[in-house]
Amino acid sequence: MQSFIDQWLPIFYEAIKDTFLMVAISLAFSVLIGIILAIILILTRPGQPLQNKFVYQFFNLLINVIRSIPFIILLFFMLPFTKFIVGTSIGVEGAIVPLVVNAAPYIARLIESSLLEVNQGVIEAYRAMGIKTHQIIWNVMLREARPAIVLALTIATISLIGATAMAGLVGAGGLGDLAYRFGHLRYETDVMYVTVILLIIIVQGIQSIGNRLAARMKKD
Amino acid sequence: MIKLENVTKVFPSKKGKDVTALDNVTISVNKGEIHGVIGYSGAGKSTLIRCVNLLETPSKGKVWIDGIDLTKLSKEKLRQTRQKVGMIFQHFNLLKTATVYDNIAIPLKLLGVPKSKIAERVVKYLEIVDLVEKKDSYPAQLSGGQKQRVAIARALSQEPQVLLSDEATSALDPETTNSILELLLKINAELGITILLITHEMNVIQKICDYVYVIENGNLIEQGSTIELFTKPQQPTTKKFLNTISQRKLSDRLVDELKLEGRVVRLTFLGENTGQPLLSKVTQQFYVEPNILTANIIELKNGIVGNLVVHLIGNDQQVEQSLSFLQEQGVEIEELGVN
Repeated sequence: MQSFIDQWLPIFYEAIKDTFLMVAISLAFSVLIGIILAIILILTRPGQPLQNKFVYQFFNLLINVIRSIPFIILLFFMLPFTKFIVGTSIGVEGAIVPLVVNAAPYIARLIESSLLEVNQGVIEAYRAMGIKTHQIIWNVMLREARPAIVLALTIATISLIGATAMAGLVGAGGLGDLAYRFGHLRYETDVMYVTVILLIIIVQGIQSIGNRLAARMKKD
Repeated sequence: MIKLENVTKVFPSKKGKDVTALDNVTISVNKGEIHGVIGYSGAGKSTLIRCVNLLETPSKGKVWIDGIDLTKLSKEKLRQTRQKVGMIFQHFNLLKTATVYDNIAIPLKLLGVPKSKIAERVVKYLEIVDLVEKKDSYPAQLSGGQKQRVAIARALSQEPQVLLSDEATSALDPETTNSILELLLKINAELGITILLITHEMNVIQKICDYVYVIENGNLIEQGSTIELFTKPQQPTTKKFLNTISQRKLSDRLVDELKLEGRVVRLTFLGENTGQPLLSKVTQQFYVEPNILTANIIELKNGIVGNLVVHLIGNDQQVEQSLSFLQEQGVEIEELGVN
């Protein structure tokens, strides 16, 4: 037991750090892009004051196209693009570009549906008061959707953790990579078990935090 | 103060069958008055009130508020003009995630009211709607009536000249409805705010309106002061609405039965003149026996209307004479059971 810990602790530490790094960085970019995409979709959708068929359909299609591609394919498909953007296609940096491309449209859809659930009447009331559209986006739509967005981002974070496991295939490291390389390829089942348990604990923890945060923001 | 001039609103439909929600509607609300638009669901009243602040853009016609034609304004100017027009809604439309205080303070902040003045204003209007002690509650912790009070305070805090009420009492129980109506009367009287409301409840019209428009299928079918409408309703729809507030309607079978002998008439009196002395005169002068079937008094904002349904028993000539006598005395007469 002690020897297992001594041998693997630094490796697990490194793997957890990589996983967190990948998730955190790609989540940050994806949320930023996702919120912008979601707002564009909401504002230009038919029936809205800024409705624009062309813009709406373009982004709608773009999101659907990207979301149709399984992440494992996206990962390899994007190798040249990744190299162009971050200068390398391997390691944590190499994984972040495909992770963002994968997660941003997903998050955009999740946030779009959270925003759609905001009571249209409130938005109308603020329009009737003569409040500017961008102020309504911040102070009404995003504000009222906050609990739903937190839950949506919890889901997105968990699926990002799943995606980072595959990113191991481009040498990105992380827990998934550890389980694959040591647990699967080298038959170190102990490592596999520990990885799985760690992932369960991490996912549970994130979900609980998300639920609690959302519940606290929700005032009804 | 508010004027819609020949406003028409057509909603285009994909199947080529356009829907005309408003057809050439003209209304005019004087400063400081309360006007009401009544109609069944789908009559176009919601579209009408939404045309006033251009939440719906009229297909044709003009919308004037305080002498400004809103249909001619740029987007930016329209936005600024909207600040002079408060609006309250059936479902209150408050921010769920904000306290009562913030629900009023946030719009003020966004509209550029100086920070130092916001707190003072919020408290001032919460006092008017009598909700200061709830300022840290969230909407979910309030009753429907309290939520509407917050919405009213929110509208008032922007110090508008005009208040639009879109079915503001339709989601409330009768007692709460009355308290909200009293509040509207109070702000009309004390702050001098002109109010245009839409409703499908005749008691709202009865209690607070100076003037009424009846709307049906996008057309204004009848309008007049509330007293006129309660004493001399012309259109069947108007009469149906009046039937909802008092027991005005007797069954056709009962009327037919009674008419075997004498006539059944509805007498409408204006003012405190209850009609009783007139009926005893009818008995003395024309030997007609009046049998009162229903009687009620409706208190309007600007007066009292009495309503009697009477079975007049006597010979034809006597009854005829008594009716013309009553008419001379200023009583409105409507004969029932006549097709």
